[in-house]
Amino acid sequence: MAEEEDDPGFDEDLDDGGNGGDSGQGKRKRLFSKELRCMMYGFGDDQNPYTESVDILEDLVIEFITEMTHKAMSIGRQGRVQVEDIVFLIRKDPRKFARVKDLLTMNEELKKARKAFDEANYGS
Amino acid sequence: MADPARVKTEAGFGEASTPAERPKQGEGSGDGPVSGSTASEPAAGQTSMKEDGKARSEDAAAGEEEEEGSSSLHPPPAKKLKVEHDKKKEKRQKVDEDEIQKMQVLVSSFSEEQLNRYEMYRRSAFPKAAIKRLIQSITGSSVSQNVVIAMSGIAKVFAGEIVEEALDVCEKWGDTPPLQPKHMREAVRRLKSREQIPNTKHKHILFH
Repeated sequence: MAEEEDDPGFDEDLDDGGNGGDSGQGKRKRLFSKELRCMMYGFGDDQNPYTESVDILEDLVIEFITEMTHKAMSIGRQGRVQVEDIVFLIRKDPRKFARVKDLLTMNEELKKARKAFDEANYGS
Repeated sequence: MADPARVKTEAGFGEASTPAERPKQGEGSGDGPVSGSTASEPAAGQTSMKEDGKARSEDAAAGEEEEEGSSSLHPPPAKKLKVEHDKKKEKRQKVDEDEIQKMQVLVSSFSEEQLNRYEMYRRSAFPKAAIKRLIQSITGSSVSQNVVIAMSGIAKVFAGEIVEEALDVCEKWGDTPPLQPKHMREAVRRLKSREQIPNTKHKHILFH
């Protein structure tokens, strides 16, 4: 019993994440461990980042998404999250704003290209 | 093996080179996050790229104003707006092509370790299903695909900002990567003071 409570430092072994190591918020399972490791390496960290750092970053990302979702629900159409709301919330941050614009534009282009490709196939 | 300072500056340069073009194209406001990195070597590289872009956009703006002045009497306002818009689109496409060429030259000169890191930087992403599940568990209703795409993209930029700031802290404190939780926490503290981390928990009542 007392030993379980000392666990927070060692939850890398308890990957079920349920009752044992609760390092911070997440009583839930670690959602993004693999992807975050790759991401941290891509952004400049070591090839094997520390698990504790990955956990901290995951908690931060989940908190960020939660805050954005709550904010988006409170503006525009209440109770729903729409793209326009997200773009509005992000407007002051140049990096994120540019990134969202790019992603949405690229998505539209890809959809158009796929549609044109499908129609070409269907025709011939 | 990899000199962390050098590797970080390379990665930082690789990342910052894309957003360095964006503020000039789009909103023109934020030089903040891009010029925030402190190391002198990438700053020189970044500012030279930014200055190129700025000089180009200034020339373009001057050229545009000149043409407007000469033909201002003839076309009606609606047509003038459309012509302006077309010219801006052409310029944007030309600037995009320049940027693509520069990126190609840069990437072709990467070492293998840099290529690995760049590949991870481009390819890593949050799983759409998990993000969708997370957002839907908060809203209680379904969300469209575009929302998931936008949110994953923003979350990745957010993670990048934290890691970059943490690497700055790590370098400043004389440590080496891998990043430790104390670096992450100091990075969060700094970003919070710059209001780059949203926090709606603390309600500041102005007059009470």
